[in-house]
Amino acid sequence: MTEESLYRKRRVLFFILTIVIGITAGLVYGWLINPVAYTDTGPHTLRLDYKTDYILMVAELYHADRDINVAVADLGYLGSESLVELVSQAVVFAGQIGYASTDVELMLELVQSLKAVLPEQ
Amino acid sequence: MENQRSSWYLLTGLILGLVLGLVFTWTVSPVSYSDSTPDSLREDFKNHYRSMIAQVYVKNTNLLRAESRLMLLGDEDAVGALSAQAQRVLAVGGSEDEARALATLAAALASQTTKHETTLGSPAPSESSAPVIPTNTLPPIKTATAASGLVDKTPSPEP
Repeated sequence: MTEESLYRKRRVLFFILTIVIGITAGLVYGWLINPVAYTDTGPHTLRLDYKTDYILMVAELYHADRDINVAVADLGYLGSESLVELVSQAVVFAGQIGYASTDVELMLELVQSLKAVLPEQ
Repeated sequence: MENQRSSWYLLTGLILGLVLGLVFTWTVSPVSYSDSTPDSLREDFKNHYRSMIAQVYVKNTNLLRAESRLMLLGDEDAVGALSAQAQRVLAVGGSEDEARALATLAAALASQTTKHETTLGSPAPSESSAPVIPTNTLPPIKTATAASGLVDKTPSPEP
């Protein structure tokens, strides 16, 4: 192996090494020095348990006021395409994590009312 | 000349590596916002959330539940945040019912805090520290009717 060939191989090795160092520096910067901070998020990003609690609030208000238009508007805050599906999902989740039966009933009541006014969903 | 070339190719490798890292984080696997918590919401969404909590409280008068929900928003001074929002709502000509609900919840929380402090033997809060509640500008409070059944129910586990 000539000296020129060895020199070329060493250059390639160092080149690859600096690329790896660059990627590492990028990841260290992005994950450790300046990690992502969750601020200014939208309601559609809320975790399912928080969404479920919000939906329970809507159901509580609906139970008191019987205004389905307000309920639809409030649920629209969560940015879901299918409100019936969204609330149904919350009902299932609420049952799974042990919400009081009275609360689950309130949400079921909301689902039924939504199905009546939004039959296409 | 040879030494200069060596330096440049190392710098090129480093820059290429950084670019690859950024392409990966921004294009191949960009940050997706999911599973967030209410305290990370944008301010206007927080206001809506706070308003919902207050309106539900007016219907079911479940202060424990309202307090738990407010804690999710991460306000340092929940009473102050509610009072300030009530004033903002009135200032921009918003819903009086919404403002009243916010003020009612703020008053209930402040009252609970005062009771707690008195029980512990602490001095009562001074007048200046009481929340500013714009009740004198609001019409008489309507009586909640349908929510009476909710008052005594067991609170659900909060997230």
